[in-house]
Amino acid sequence: MSGLGPKRLGKELTKIQNSLPPGITLVSADNLEEWFLDIQVLDQNPLYAGQTYRLKFKFSKSYPIEPPEVTFTKTDNRPIPMHPHIYSNGIICLDLLGSQGWSPVQNVESVCMSIQSMLTGNTKDERPPGDEEFVRGNRLRPRDIDFYYHDNTV
Amino acid sequence: MQHNKDPARATALKNEGNKLYQSGDFVGAESLYSKAIIADDANPALYTNRAMARLKLKLWDSAISDCQACLTLNLESMKANYYLAQANIELHNYEDALSAALRAHALCISQNDKSLPQVTSTVLRCKKENWEQKEKRRTRENQMLEDELLALMEREKEEMLETCDTEGLRDEVRGEWDDKASDLRRTFEQARQGDDKQRIVPDWMIDEISFNIFIDPVTTKTGKSYERASILEHLRRSPTDPLTREPLLPSDLRPNLALRQACEEFLKDNGWAADW
Repeated sequence: MSGLGPKRLGKELTKIQNSLPPGITLVSADNLEEWFLDIQVLDQNPLYAGQTYRLKFKFSKSYPIEPPEVTFTKTDNRPIPMHPHIYSNGIICLDLLGSQGWSPVQNVESVCMSIQSMLTGNTKDERPPGDEEFVRGNRLRPRDIDFYYHDNTV
Repeated sequence: MQHNKDPARATALKNEGNKLYQSGDFVGAESLYSKAIIADDANPALYTNRAMARLKLKLWDSAISDCQACLTLNLESMKANYYLAQANIELHNYEDALSAALRAHALCISQNDKSLPQVTSTVLRCKKENWEQKEKRRTRENQMLEDELLALMEREKEEMLETCDTEGLRDEVRGEWDDKASDLRRTFEQARQGDDKQRIVPDWMIDEISFNIFIDPVTTKTGKSYERASILEHLRRSPTDPLTREPLLPSDLRPNLALRQACEEFLKDNGWAADW
C-alpha cells in the first residue's frame, strides 16, 4: 500500500495548471484517475506538422511507484500519430512506460516531453510490424505487454 | 503492582476484538479490548489496540491514556507513539503531537515498519499545524498591537489639541497626527504583505517521488536525495536507482543530515510550506 498517489497527483496538477512546456496543454483532469493532455510537435517534421494529438493518462493507486498507463486517443480532430512504436489503437511502446523502464522520478510532464521527443526524432511514416494483427488480437493492458524493442534507434 | 495474568484468555478476547474492529464495530471492539486488559494488564499491545478503537470513536483523551499505559510497559512501541500523535492533533496539542510523531518515525525506521509513509505524512502534518497555530497567535497579537498604538496616538492627538489656541494650529496638529497614523498602518500592512510574499518552496526541499518536503532525506550514490519512506517504497518494487537504474539496496542509503536540518530550519519559519 502506497498512499503517495493522490497527494502527489494533486501537486502535479497544481504545477501543470500553472505552466507546461511549449506544445503540451492540459485538456482535462476531473479526477485523480484519468487525465487528458494534448501534445504538438513543434519543429517542422512533415509527419506531424500542424497536428495535435491527445494523450490519455490513467493512474493506479500505486502511482508514482507504478507507471501510469499512457495511450493516444482518437477523436474527430485528434488522430493517432504515425510512428513505428505507436500502434493504430493508440498503444505506445516506450520503455519508460513499462514496469521495467519506469522510475518514480518521472512525472506527467516528463512523460509528455519524452513522447513529444519520440515523435520529433522520427522520420518513418509507418506503424509497428504486425500492427493490424496486434490491434485485432490484443486484450492485455499496455504495461503488461512485453514489447520487443526491435529497433531501439527510433 | 499486582498483575492479573491470563494471557490466553486475553489473546482470545483481543482476537475477537480485532474481528469486530475489522467489521467496523468499534464500540464492540473497544469493550472486548477492555475485557482483554482486565484479563492481562501487562500486555502493551492490548492498550494500543484499544487506543486504535478509541481513535475511531473520537475518544481522544482515553486513547491518549491507553498510549501512555502502553509506553510505560514498552517504551519502544511505534504504534503507541503514532496513535498518541493522532489524538494530540485532534486535541490541538500540536507540540506534543509532533514529538510523538517524531518518536514514531524514528521507531518505524529502526523496526523497519511498513507504516513509514503514513507516519512521515503525520510528522509533516504536525509541523504544519504547529506552525499555523503559532502564526494565528502572532497575527492576532500583531493586530492587537496595531490597534493599541493607534488608540495611543489618538489620545496623544486629543491632548495636544487641547493645548492649541487657534484653529490654524489645531489643523496643523491634526494633519501631523493623521499622517503618523497612516504611516503606522502602512508599516503594519507592509509587514503583513511580507508574510504572504516569498511563499515559494525551493526545489531542493522537495522529494521527487512524493513531491513532499523532506522529513528524513536519504542519499543514493548518485548524490541525489529522496525521502526515506518514498525510496523504500520504490525499492520494494524495484531495487534500482531511480535515476540510473543501477542496482540499489536499502542498505546503500545514507541519511542526508545537512539537508534534513536545512529543511527543519526552513519549516520553522515557513510552516505553510509543509502543506505545499
